[in-house]
Amino acid sequence: MKKIYCDIKKCLGCGSCEIACAVEHSRSKALYMAIKEDKLPIKRRKAQFINKSVAISTGCHHCEDAPCVAACMSAAMYKDKKTGQTMHDVDKCVGCWMCVMSCPFGALTRERQEKVIVKCDLCPDRDMPACVEACHTGALFFGVLKEFKENSCDTR
Amino acid sequence: MRYAIIGSSAAGISAVEAIRSKDKKSDITVISDEKKPLYSRCLISYLLAGTIDKDKIWIRPDDFFKKNKAEAILGVRAEKIDLKNREVYLKNKEKVKFNKLLIATGSSPKIDDVPGNDKKGVFPLRTLAHAVQIQAALDKVKSVAVLGGGLIGLRAAYALRSRGKDVSIFVRSPQILSQIIDEESAGIMQRHIEKKGIKIFTGRYAREIKGKLSVEGLALDNGSDVDCQLVVVGKGVSPNIEIAKEAGLETNWGIVVDSSLRAGSKDVFAAGDVVEGHDIALEENTINAIWPVACEQGRIAGLNMSGEDQVYDGTLAMNSIEFFGLSVISIGITKPKKAIYKEIVKKDLSNNKYKKIVLRDDVIVGAIFVNAIENIGVIGALIKNKVNVKDIKDIALENYFDYGRIIKIIKDSKDGFREKEFRETILTL
Repeated sequence: MKKIYCDIKKCLGCGSCEIACAVEHSRSKALYMAIKEDKLPIKRRKAQFINKSVAISTGCHHCEDAPCVAACMSAAMYKDKKTGQTMHDVDKCVGCWMCVMSCPFGALTRERQEKVIVKCDLCPDRDMPACVEACHTGALFFGVLKEFKENSCDTR
Repeated sequence: MRYAIIGSSAAGISAVEAIRSKDKKSDITVISDEKKPLYSRCLISYLLAGTIDKDKIWIRPDDFFKKNKAEAILGVRAEKIDLKNREVYLKNKEKVKFNKLLIATGSSPKIDDVPGNDKKGVFPLRTLAHAVQIQAALDKVKSVAVLGGGLIGLRAAYALRSRGKDVSIFVRSPQILSQIIDEESAGIMQRHIEKKGIKIFTGRYAREIKGKLSVEGLALDNGSDVDCQLVVVGKGVSPNIEIAKEAGLETNWGIVVDSSLRAGSKDVFAAGDVVEGHDIALEENTINAIWPVACEQGRIAGLNMSGEDQVYDGTLAMNSIEFFGLSVISIGITKPKKAIYKEIVKKDLSNNKYKKIVLRDDVIVGAIFVNAIENIGVIGALIKNKVNVKDIKDIALENYFDYGRIIKIIKDSKDGFREKEFRETILTL
């Protein structure tokens, strides 16, 4: 399936992906307006540091045998049979945080007022996820694993 | 091929889906003693609290069995397994033939042998029927007594407090949640819950439930009396092993399984709360009667029933609890008793924050995070994969600790982190 991959060699940990993600998931979808919204939009991606100078941008990896899906007691988290994406039905979520407990990547974020989870949805309204488009160094890649390997792994 | 599955909760449902993902044709029969089984047991306290409506407790659509071409025998108890003739005997005298069998009979609430527990107004909280019965009895109730300070007891208390009842919890142990978290984190949660109006009495238990036909109060161990019109018993669960035991399968506390989830026979499997299996942190057999384990075991048992060769690495205790906005997550061993275990603790009690990891020879075997639960799943991955964390253990409880900090460990690990998603993140490192 098409996923978002990160080339660690290129990632600066600048956080542009985080901002783009939050803006995309805001009501206005514009930065200058998003920061004034009643409820600040929440990012689904995180730029994380491996050490002082090496970083990786991570989010939901849409795992094949997703532990969050097995842990979800309300069937809010599920696998889309066609696309393989890990989906989240916010109406079914009760905020039990069992997915937070089970995600090895720490990719699920709590929306504490509404008591629901937010997670990467691969930007269904766009061809290219907002974080990938916003990445200044080309570290983020949207596509299938084979393409990512050809693009990033063989060039080092 | 004929598959039979006894039980239709988390493990049974997951098994049906797993079998059907590999085998579109063979017959599947699911037997459940509940008439409408496709709900989440974990959600019934939410229903009782009024947090969700009844239509939200269903975790699969009504046509689940039909869509999966499975025959469902509902509201009928499976009474006996004849391993020789490969038949399950049902209470209605019918028989179900099988080539492969899954026992996912779950667990039942432990019965508190307190005198008076047969009075009207004493309930466990395990099934949807229990929640509906409690709800129906609430009108005339002013005060509720909950016996037991475990997860179910607290959930029941929270639900009934949300319904405006006067709720007292009586906990025999010196702390609440004694099977799940340590004394200090339990203290944080207890004080928080008490501030919201639930009374908690630790080291106290009911000697008798008093009343004529219906509950009128409790007589406590210290000689005092308490008025209440409803009692919820939350003393944990015990696995429903009888049917397996009578069939001659190996049982101890639960049904003993191997790493393929077979119960001592090539064609008989077990999954869910009824299973006693290898615990990754404890390194011995135990029962972890929790939802994620039931789903995972059901899936793997189902795949293996359909001819796959999947290995189940073992279970890990884990619980996520939130009451009145304070969340606690625990994984693995949280109350170590031997000197071989070391603990690292970071706390900020004025903000109700507390984090602890438990280590054995620089391998994390357990964790508790209170009111700062982000990234505990990353710690969970370290526990599951049993890697040496010498290099990161001193930062593991810092707020900035996240997946990025364990990537080097993943890269250096030879036999851990087998899932491809981990490998994908280190391709360019």
